[in-house]
Amino acid sequence: MKEIFLLILEIFKALIEILWEKIKYVLKILWIRFFGYEEIPQEKKEAVVEWGVTGEDEWPGITETETKEPQVKERAVSPPSAIPDLPDSYGESRIVLMQRDPLCLFCYWELQQVKIDNFLKNLSTLAYGARLVLRVYDVTNILFDGNNANKYFDSVLVQGAKDWYIHLEEPNRSFCADIGFLTSDGTFHVLTRSNTITTPGMCPSDITEEQREEIEALYEKVYASMAIDTASHVPESASAKWQRLFSHILSSPETC
Amino acid sequence: MKKGYLSLILHAHLPYVRHPEFDAYLEEDWLFEAVAETYIPLINVFDNLINEHIDFRITMSLTPPLISMLTDELLQQRCLRYIEKRLELAEKEIERTNNQSEFNQIAKMYYNHFHDARYVFAEKYQRNIITAFKKFQDAGKMEIITSCATHSFLPLMNNNVNAMRAQIHVAVNHYEKHFGRKPRGIWLPECAYEPGIDQLLKEEGIRFFIAEAHGLLFASPRPKYGIYAPIVCPSGVAVFGRDLESSKQVWSSKEGYPGDFYYREFYRDIGFDLDYDYVKPYLHGDGNRSNVGIKYYRITGKTNHKEPYSIEMARDKAAEHAGNFMFNREKQTEHLDSLMDRTPIIIAPYDAELFGHWWFEGPLWIDFLFRKIAFDQQTISLITPLEYLDRYPENQCAVPSASSWGYKGYSEYWLNDKNDWIYRHLHIAADRMVVLARTYPHTDKYSIQQRALNQAARELLLAQSSDWAFIMKAGTMVEYAVKRTKEHLFQFNKLYNDIRANAIDEKWLCEIEHKNNIFPDINYCIYQ
Repeated sequence: MKEIFLLILEIFKALIEILWEKIKYVLKILWIRFFGYEEIPQEKKEAVVEWGVTGEDEWPGITETETKEPQVKERAVSPPSAIPDLPDSYGESRIVLMQRDPLCLFCYWELQQVKIDNFLKNLSTLAYGARLVLRVYDVTNILFDGNNANKYFDSVLVQGAKDWYIHLEEPNRSFCADIGFLTSDGTFHVLTRSNTITTPGMCPSDITEEQREEIEALYEKVYASMAIDTASHVPESASAKWQRLFSHILSSPETC
Repeated sequence: MKKGYLSLILHAHLPYVRHPEFDAYLEEDWLFEAVAETYIPLINVFDNLINEHIDFRITMSLTPPLISMLTDELLQQRCLRYIEKRLELAEKEIERTNNQSEFNQIAKMYYNHFHDARYVFAEKYQRNIITAFKKFQDAGKMEIITSCATHSFLPLMNNNVNAMRAQIHVAVNHYEKHFGRKPRGIWLPECAYEPGIDQLLKEEGIRFFIAEAHGLLFASPRPKYGIYAPIVCPSGVAVFGRDLESSKQVWSSKEGYPGDFYYREFYRDIGFDLDYDYVKPYLHGDGNRSNVGIKYYRITGKTNHKEPYSIEMARDKAAEHAGNFMFNREKQTEHLDSLMDRTPIIIAPYDAELFGHWWFEGPLWIDFLFRKIAFDQQTISLITPLEYLDRYPENQCAVPSASSWGYKGYSEYWLNDKNDWIYRHLHIAADRMVVLARTYPHTDKYSIQQRALNQAARELLLAQSSDWAFIMKAGTMVEYAVKRTKEHLFQFNKLYNDIRANAIDEKWLCEIEHKNNIFPDINYCIYQ
């Protein structure tokens, strides 16, 4: 008997809830109809950053208050469909260097297991203790033949690593990279060699053609301290320095 | 005699999104929103200026994917459907806000906006708005330039020159097909340049491109006029540098005009604000709330409190900002003119979709700017880069520095831990495409083998679009960008294997030819 009573009570509660929701809904409709907008609680709002603007990635910005809460929400891709997987490897041994910025390279590679096995077999006794190494050469201003690099550094490859970001000491240099085995006698045996890549400079060129004094003076002032730090936005940084140095010459009074 | 030239450049681009396999597709809305909110309002501005005999010059890059979509029958049909749905919603909004006069007049503004968009799109330009841009070019008011075939980031594919060359060659042919002559300028996607790319442009007869400021400022030897005159690469192609001072006034979300408190707030859209059942017919099939393009509030301030939009006050602001922009350019060129022995040029490039879509009043600002330049001053005049080269054919020879207009000025936005996985696949696909083109140098016209080879080239190009890497980094719609990258690469790899095994699946080939129909005239031999 008690159980039946509890059941009826539950059903009654559920009906009240449904009825209350309906009343709320009708009240809301009436409110919107006669008083305009429904005030949406702000935490529900989604700031959907859509496709459309590239460039400096500045616009549209998220205002200070918006940044307090994560507002960018991924919209569902419509309609969903299965994404075919790409191959893990292409059956080749290769290494490719790419330039991210004047002080950073990206390097990816793929090594064929059969090639590694044969290679180690040929190394015979030297194979024992041989380490797989990424060797990055500075080949600035030379025709690289494998032995004449200006300098190089080695990084022992971690098992399973497939790519690497390489942070550089200075811009405006050329690089080439090998993957190979460094054996116990200190010899480096190349498995595969990359393309050569040249990083850009980060300051005005030392080479000038113009002798006209005012132009020289202009450049001296503009470029005097324009060593760019890639941690900042280069065009912005270059521009800011330009603005500061030339505010009295180049820029309009209103913008300085 | 003018003391300076201003070259306004609008870069119009959207990635190729077309899904005939579905009745509607969320990401196709990118195009429809841009048509209704950016391209048609801009067309109206230029049409009105011409009708009123007000002289102006503007440069626009229309990328091959954008042109392909704007001339595609299916997307044209869907675009009209989109505009008509918005018009229907605007009509309902007039009724709904009948008792709220401040909202009601905004609803009427939207109604007029979509009503006009439908007329311009469907009747005036017969669904093909590319003809409008061609008309402006033929009238001598606009220089239309091209971009890469699928907006690829060229420096990140520099280990395969044939693939880079194909991106440019396909774009040039595509431009010629639509505009009746070859392009004279190019917008390098993301302004991404590295020495040597200019040589590929030269091969295609391109005369100029735009680089980020430090591309010129760090050129060797030092350009004597900085970014205020073009330099010429050793190949003979001219480079113009982006002026950051003028760019910032428009671009910057903090200091730029579009952030003014009287301008329309992008993020208060009735697709999110109004009752779900009311807006549901205008949302997508998945039922998720999304923007529907009707927004009643102004930016107001930095808090979430928003005041209703005022059409008149926003218009006054657009006029004021146009005047301010012009005044600053006047002052800028007056100073430069005193230092240079030639008339300086200020290059002000922007993403076209900023105007109208994000910055609702953007087209109006351009309208005011062009009118003010024509009537209110004598210091500057509008010019295209090509006209400047005609006036100053001799320019300093220098090699620009590698650069882009993206985050930090180089390649990082397109090469980072969110998207670096794509390059090993893209590079091998490009190498394989060259292998295919060299292995099968001659194929019979319309043969299945030739069709498969051409489709392989299309899939490769579509996979190379820089948009996918950009979206992966930006963090919105990532799933779609990953899907597109994987899909095109998967299809390329299957074609590669099928062609080599002489086992092409014709039914499947037909399907992907129908789906990914960009560049119908492509010839895979460009990869040889």
